[in-house]
Amino acid sequence: MYKVREGEPSYAFLKDSESQEKSRYGQPIELTVEDSALRGESLTINGDGDIGENPNRYKQHGFYLNADNCIGCHACESACSEKNDVPSHIAFRSVGFVEGGTYPNYQRINISMACNHCEDPVCLKGCPTRAYTKFAEYGAVLQDPDICFGCGYCTWVCPYNAPQLDPVKGEVSKCNMCVDRLEVGLKPACVSACLGNALDFGVIENIPENREQAETEISGFPRADITRPNIRFQQNKPTEHEMTRTDSMPVKYHREHYGESFKATVDEKQGHEKYWNFKKLLTSHEIAHVVFTLCTQATMGAFILLLLGTLVGVESLALLKTPVVFPVLLAVLVIICTMGLYQLNMHLGKPHRFYRGFYNLKLSPVSREIAGVSLFYLGLLGYSSLALFEVAIFQWLAMVFAWLGVLGALVGGYFMYKLYRIPARPFWDHWQTGSAFVSAALIYGALVPLMVTVLVAPSWIAVQPVIAVLAWVMVAGLIIEGVGHVFHARDMKKWGNEGAGSYYWQVTKYGKSYWLRNGLLGLAMLLAAGLALIGIENGIGLVLLGVLTGMVLVTGAIGRSLFFVLVIPTTMPGAFFWKNDGFVEHARETGLAEMEQVGVAYERHHKFKTDELIATIKEHSLLAMVEEAKNILKG
Amino acid sequence: MLFGRHQKNPIKIADKGIEKWSYSTCGYCSTGCSIEIGINKDGKPVASRGVADADVNRGKLCVKGLFEHELFESSGRGKTPLLRNSIHDDYQESGWDGALDKMAAEINRIQEKYGPDSFAIVSTGQILTEGFYTLGKLARGVIGTNNYDGNTTLCMASAVSGYKRSFGSDGPPGCYEDFEHTECLLAWGSNLPEQHPIIYWRFKEAREKRQFPLIVIDPRVTMLAQYADFHLCITPGTDVVLMNAMMQVILEEGLEDRAYLEANTVGFEALAAEVKNYDPVSASRICGIDEDTIRTVARIYAKAGSAMSIWCMGINQSTHGSDGVVGINNLSLLTGNIGKPGGTSLSITGQCNAMGTREWSSCSGLPGYRLLENSQDREDIGKFWGVDPDFFPKKRGLTQTDIFPAIEAGDIKGLWLVGTNPMTSMPNTSRIRKTLEKLECCVVQDSYVDVETAQYAHIFLPAAIWAEKEGVFTNTERRVNIIRKIKEPYAQSKTDLHIFNALAKRFKRAEKMHFPHHFDDVFDEMRELSKGRLVDISGLTHDLIEAHKGIQWPYTKEQSENGELPPKGGKRLYVESATFSYPDGRAKLIPLPFVDNNEKPDKEYPFWLNSGRLVEHFHSRTRTGKIANNNKFSPTPFMEMNPDAAVALGVKHQSYVRVVSRRSDAVVLVMLTQRVSRDMVFIPFHFFDCVNRLTLGLLDPHSRQPAFKQGAVRIEQIDQVLAARLNKEAREF
Repeated sequence: MYKVREGEPSYAFLKDSESQEKSRYGQPIELTVEDSALRGESLTINGDGDIGENPNRYKQHGFYLNADNCIGCHACESACSEKNDVPSHIAFRSVGFVEGGTYPNYQRINISMACNHCEDPVCLKGCPTRAYTKFAEYGAVLQDPDICFGCGYCTWVCPYNAPQLDPVKGEVSKCNMCVDRLEVGLKPACVSACLGNALDFGVIENIPENREQAETEISGFPRADITRPNIRFQQNKPTEHEMTRTDSMPVKYHREHYGESFKATVDEKQGHEKYWNFKKLLTSHEIAHVVFTLCTQATMGAFILLLLGTLVGVESLALLKTPVVFPVLLAVLVIICTMGLYQLNMHLGKPHRFYRGFYNLKLSPVSREIAGVSLFYLGLLGYSSLALFEVAIFQWLAMVFAWLGVLGALVGGYFMYKLYRIPARPFWDHWQTGSAFVSAALIYGALVPLMVTVLVAPSWIAVQPVIAVLAWVMVAGLIIEGVGHVFHARDMKKWGNEGAGSYYWQVTKYGKSYWLRNGLLGLAMLLAAGLALIGIENGIGLVLLGVLTGMVLVTGAIGRSLFFVLVIPTTMPGAFFWKNDGFVEHARETGLAEMEQVGVAYERHHKFKTDELIATIKEHSLLAMVEEAKNILKG
Repeated sequence: MLFGRHQKNPIKIADKGIEKWSYSTCGYCSTGCSIEIGINKDGKPVASRGVADADVNRGKLCVKGLFEHELFESSGRGKTPLLRNSIHDDYQESGWDGALDKMAAEINRIQEKYGPDSFAIVSTGQILTEGFYTLGKLARGVIGTNNYDGNTTLCMASAVSGYKRSFGSDGPPGCYEDFEHTECLLAWGSNLPEQHPIIYWRFKEAREKRQFPLIVIDPRVTMLAQYADFHLCITPGTDVVLMNAMMQVILEEGLEDRAYLEANTVGFEALAAEVKNYDPVSASRICGIDEDTIRTVARIYAKAGSAMSIWCMGINQSTHGSDGVVGINNLSLLTGNIGKPGGTSLSITGQCNAMGTREWSSCSGLPGYRLLENSQDREDIGKFWGVDPDFFPKKRGLTQTDIFPAIEAGDIKGLWLVGTNPMTSMPNTSRIRKTLEKLECCVVQDSYVDVETAQYAHIFLPAAIWAEKEGVFTNTERRVNIIRKIKEPYAQSKTDLHIFNALAKRFKRAEKMHFPHHFDDVFDEMRELSKGRLVDISGLTHDLIEAHKGIQWPYTKEQSENGELPPKGGKRLYVESATFSYPDGRAKLIPLPFVDNNEKPDKEYPFWLNSGRLVEHFHSRTRTGKIANNNKFSPTPFMEMNPDAAVALGVKHQSYVRVVSRRSDAVVLVMLTQRVSRDMVFIPFHFFDCVNRLTLGLLDPHSRQPAFKQGAVRIEQIDQVLAARLNKEAREF
């Protein structure tokens, strides 16, 4: 047990003598019933089997911030980092600020934020490896870095930037509510360290002594309905109508009347000049996702066209199964799909833990996507290796794989879309994400067989019908893509939140790249239609095809990269250096980040540690593995 | 495991394996927090925490203290003494004997050739009091230079000077406990949340129990200013005008404490006559605070049952620094607010042991607040040390800020810098570079070999840091607290006490003197010398200090022998009537005519340049710049600038600009914020080759403290790629 030192000041002790029945969200604050099996168990912190005697052990606890009092002195975050031995480039708790007014009637409101141990922990639901647990003890949402494989999805879904992906270690870690201190009746380290009397902690909904409010809204804090966070605020001092952020995010907070809550709106603080920013765009850390999504969608599209095309009556697609074209096409699809999967896996912080991606089928769209895509890949491999043999049993088996592949493509494709529908990322949380994925499947799913056919078919005349069909499929894909963008742009501007901030970056920071993409998209539509009508027997068709291919590849690369770099999450406001993405980028570009004490780490790739994988296999008996597999279903 | 997992995972929480907590006192600022360092089984310091029952900090620490254990292994420490003949040569490693022999020989050579005062010593507010005392003995009794001062001239000299002028002696009369009693707090150029967060917390605790008016005088909207009932955004350098106007209102309305004045002060008539020149209307045109606010604030202050003033560099670092302190004292005396609970004039000090150097280092006089100008004091100390009293100069020599011009003038040829970094901390550093180049011998004694001033050293002496030594600090509220040794000195580095003693041995004059090696024995000498003085510490012992987690002076031998335990806190000076340190026991009310000699913004240089501290850094960043969990909050210099001014100049947020003054330029990242006015910029002072390239630093006539906070600059655009490169190149840590 954590040792309570002699003379510990009274401010460090928890003081909840009473508590309410239910939280404002309607959930019981007592998290388990009296005789629940969840009670009376040790938290086994660092192997310690003792059980704490905190009388409120099974009640939901939460932080309390009196934002009027926070002086931004960093004592909370430092006490946390000191206690938890957190490396300097990440932090379980951070202080940022918003500011408003005009000198000397100026106001800065500091906000100290860690994990809110939410009632609806989206991190837990999103994590594919089941590294998260919400404990009956204190309602703490804890994450186990030893399980995590470093995909960072929890950092995408959390609206508060609580989970911290360490680019050096390649794993996530986060606030542990100092459950070791709670067990002995002490408040968390950050709260005990507070020098402004701003932070507090206790059973949720309890208002600390000398305080009067328990709000869930404050300027700069994301809306509470995403996760039902267990944090309460006091902020009584009158604020300006407009509160701005000092970090690089093009977002500010506005309210129309006193007493109303603040809404995030776009802050066009970097001007209106348009830039290419090609390098930034095409070498972002998310490039692995760009490659993976495009490759997977292309192969899924092509595979479905290949298999289902004739079933729905497009007879000409049978031409794809003619000799030479068929084996080459299958080989190309396998290569592309493998490349995508390789990229995805190797971007993980711990790529050798890939198998853990299935662990959370019950809750995580990522797990389901991985399962679906894996099934599709299995189908593709099976089909590709068997379909070429004209033996009945092989053909039959090939069809089994084919259907598995189609099923995998549908499930994987759907969850690939679903996993980006993140409320904390308004730019993605739009149906256009789906239309973009479908259109990619159509455009590149048609382009791949088209190119293969043109390059290897013995006679162009014979395959002319399939070329026209594929070109029309591309036209359809390009139209869907274009229509999606029109609506997406309209809605982002209309929503006015972080999505509008993303849109602002789209037309300024990446403005030239964006318009290039749009222009190419329109031109490609015309060229594809032209190709469908003209065919490729004559030279014009060939030229058209060449130009078209270049164009759709460029639009695809730019478009999908924009999708990833533009997203602005509903995170907490940062400070001028700390938790400011703009400074992080600057420190990496200029080499300031080479000094460890700057607190910025470079993104890096992590090795596939075969020895660790083998060791894991050796350590676990077959039975244990079966048990683990069962857990996937049981949860 | 409400949901998420079927089976419960064991929880892992970082366990640093602490086997022992070792007591110490924080070595950064002057708040004087008691700190415990956690040691693991290998003897390695791995954790820091505030001492739970220490009265000053009551278990809390600020961001710097929380990572103080990392200091022991921070980069850039000096390993061995280094020698070179010319500053253009590379250093050669040396043993201690070789280095100290060379140093003693150089001191002798320079003094013989150019006179005893041609070798100067500039020390610090960072080392232990026992070290200071020994350095004083060495400087005054052995080396015999009168050009011996501390870098406290850059931060506390005005407070010292103001206290001496008003009360007859240095020594802040109040204490932190005054927050618990005061009915009005006036904060002059002090931003507690950023500069002294623990003192802020003590204030906040008091104010949560009991609301009382807070009046903040600061040109910048600091966090403290945001919490003020009245924020007076004063025109830089005009505090004295505001003080005079407040006094004028107080006298005009008869709000002064007549009885107190009659019993305790002299000089009332002259003061009353002078402040008549500062009616609030005329004053408002100079200081920028409107008439109504001046009157309101003066009334609130004077009518409060008890009222306290605190101040920091906003007052001290000015050409009227000493006058500003006297003005605050005048206000306190006029309203009878000295020596009573909640009524005081309390300077908030900068360095951890600025007070220790003031009390015991003999920098501006002789130990125990004794004066060189006083023959009895010279006699007493001469006798105690075994030095001919005539060997002592009869007048104080040059201050740090006058020592550098004396080097320029060729009067000083050798300089010994102890724990100070003028290359970053002095105003107008391009001038300082030229100055340092002129030295025939420059000795830098520092814990860090990468301290920027080491570029100009001929001899580098690696010193132990903080808790690699043992001894005491005195904090802002006159509390003596102890630093216990946690680790042996790094590599070949030595404690300051050891270095001073070893150097003393090399001089013939020291043969008849006693230089104790043990810090307990040094402390015994100080106790003896403190008897009957204002700074009476004769009742203290090192163990008693640790047992009480710091004890405020005075605490006399008689009190200790009578079994009177030292109080936890709340000890004040000048509690009894007419007990001030002037011979007649009366404090002086001193008239303060305002002289306007600042460099002010004009057409060519349209911005006021203000500088100050950040909570995550300490002084010239030689320590906090290497501790990532401190440094990351501001790893590179920046400048606060008003967005409206930026629009006019086309300056963008988070871009680099070149700030130019009549001295030089500095490259900074721009942070646009309405925290500063349209005609002012603010740059933190911690960074090497930055704000002090720009500052003018005119000197206060009394304290010789530079006016860091009043100067004029203009803003120029700079190529962003070049600026980023220059900025990076200027940062080795």
